Amino acid sequence: MPVILQNSHVSPEVCLMTIKNTSGRAGQFYMLRPTKVLDPLLGRPISIHDCVDGNCSFLYRIAGKGTKLMSEMRAGDTIEAYGPYGNGFEPVDSDIRLIGGGIGIAPLYFLARTHKAMYPNRVIEAYLGFVEKPFMLQYFRAVADFVYVRVGGYITADVPFEENVINYACGPNPMMKAAKEEAEKKNSKLFLSLEAHMACGVGACLGCTCPTVSGNKRVCKDGPVFLASEVSFE
Amino acid sequence: MSRLTTNLLGIQLKNPVIAASGTFGFGKEYEGYFDPSVLGGISGKGLTLHGSKGNSGIRVCETPAGMMNSIGLENPGVAHFVKHECHVMRSTGAAVICNLGGHSIEDYVKATQMINDADIDILELNISCPNVKEGGMAFGMCGKTAAEVVKKVKAVTKFPLMVKLSPNASDISEVARAVEDAGADAISLINTLLGMRIDVRSKKPIFNNVYAGVSGPAVMPIALRMVHSVCKAVKIPVVGLGGISSYTDALEFIMAGATAIQVGTATFANPFAMPQIIEGLEKYCVQNKLENISEIRGIINK
Ligand SMILES: Cc1cc2nc3c(=O)[nH]c(=O)nc-3n(C[C@H](O)[C@H](O)[C@H](O)COP(=O)(O)OP(=O)(O)OC[C@H]3O[C@@H](n4cnc5c(N)ncnc54)[C@H](O)[C@@H]3O)c2cc1C
Ligand SMILES: Cc1cc2nc3c(=O)[nH]c(=O)nc-3n(C[C@H](O)[C@H](O)[C@H](O)COP(=O)(O)O)c2cc1C
Ligand code: FES
Repeated sequence: MPVILQNSHVSPEVCLMTIKNTSGRAGQFYMLRPTKVLDPLLGRPISIHDCVDGNCSFLYRIAGKGTKLMSEMRAGDTIEAYGPYGNGFEPVDSDIRLIGGGIGIAPLYFLARTHKAMYPNRVIEAYLGFVEKPFMLQYFRAVADFVYVRVGGYITADVPFEENVINYACGPNPMMKAAKEEAEKKNSKLFLSLEAHMACGVGACLGCTCPTVSGNKRVCKDGPVFLASEVSFE
Repeated sequence: MSRLTTNLLGIQLKNPVIAASGTFGFGKEYEGYFDPSVLGGISGKGLTLHGSKGNSGIRVCETPAGMMNSIGLENPGVAHFVKHECHVMRSTGAAVICNLGGHSIEDYVKATQMINDADIDILELNISCPNVKEGGMAFGMCGKTAAEVVKKVKAVTKFPLMVKLSPNASDISEVARAVEDAGADAISLINTLLGMRIDVRSKKPIFNNVYAGVSGPAVMPIALRMVHSVCKAVKIPVVGLGGISSYTDALEFIMAGATAIQVGTATFANPFAMPQIIEGLEKYCVQNKLENISEIRGIINK
């Protein structure tokens, strides 16, 4: 079973855990189960925040029972980690803009790092919004060419959507909905990494479907990354 | 013959472990974890005549040692199944069980006739889905309505007919006897128990339908009690499910009288749950010198 290499707080509410022998692309996620007993029962979907030498790290916010238990685990403990799941971000040779809200910044860092490695001459801009104290900014400053931070309010209001830049957003649903509306007004291409309650993570239970222009799609298997113009918010 | 070989309605299952409807897609989704041919059988996602998009809003949530779902029978429809998914299921190498739901007796009959063209082994009639507005569970709540739909479906199907009962009926043994009299060849139970959760922050029910189906380890003792009482009430084979997550859980259902068992929610928590249960049952037979698992079937009633 996968072993935890390190697990520490980056803020009172947010932790970073590295798990040995895990892999995946930016935008993919794992179902993490902090216990071997039957409660909590289901894995928690957590995005890959980075992956170095076959060890992935996960940036997670303590939201409830499962993530609280995760935050109490120590280096050397074992954790059930099922994945990598989902489609991930498609690499594109283009200037890109990352739009992150709160813990939604987690998968965007890995995207920035892989994009910089693949297309070193392309510009990466990061627009990061937080309700209170920002976190992980130094990570983004190390890979992005420009980092804009907003505390409180809507980060999407500050993003200059343009036609020639590809946008990637991840955050709470109202933020992603706003991003979609803004991007559509400006004819700017936008990818969203969606969230949904999940049970299986492999496309078997249909617990995570979201409506799209071409029918229901499974966030775990067909997503979590979708072109914003395809997603229909309820 | 292996120690776990199980005859269910004339179909030879490699073992008595079947993937429960709605928790295993159409058989291929867990291939990354194990080869589905090791399973005794697979019950596919519940179908309806014309297919459905299912329910809106949150569809799954966790409960202590269990979960709730309000999928609402999202499915591609019977015609699509006959053309596509039934071949996918057949290619797994496990016995193919087609799970059928419906909103009216006419729907059930029409769908059953269309399924006659599909390559399946057993038809599992779902009169117990709690998550659709009309029909579904309504047919399984009392013996009279259950018998009516079973009689009509039995008259047209060319496959062995297993009827899946709802634990939400006030007297499940009465429903079981009624469907046996109406011609059912086997019974499976339980479907999910009706439950509810409220989001205290938004002060609203978590599910748009307010009520949703509870499953997983938390319901196991309730399911076992119902399987036990139905096994005593009828002579046809009973397939037990509800909260099974280990081989000892499976043994309890078999000792209570079940011919085979199904595993649903446990696979979500542990994708290897079913292969581990099969391995555990095999070892149990060796250690207890059983030539076949059926030797302990219903042993507590003897
Ligand atoms: C594809 C994907 C990637 C994600 N990546 C991250 C990440 O990198 N970092 C991070 O902190 N969070 C991420 N989340 C959200 C994270 O899964 C939830 O915060 C977490 O499941 C909460 O679990 P809990 O036990 O602490 O909370 P509880 O409220 O106790 O959870 C109860 C149940 O609800 C589910 N649930 C609760 N909130 C959410 C939610 N927002 N989304 C999905 N399911 C939820 C849980 O999985 C669990 O089954 C991601 C979600 C998805 C779908
Ligand atoms: C996500 C989910 C979807 C389900 N879909 C169906 C279905 O389509 N048809 C059906 O007969 N039962 C369905 N069920 C019920 C299961 O097949 C099973 O009866 C129930 O979950 C109890 O078993 P378990 O505790 O092992 O999961 C579903 C259950 C879950 C959790
Ligand atoms: S979580 Fe089961 S289909 Fe997506």
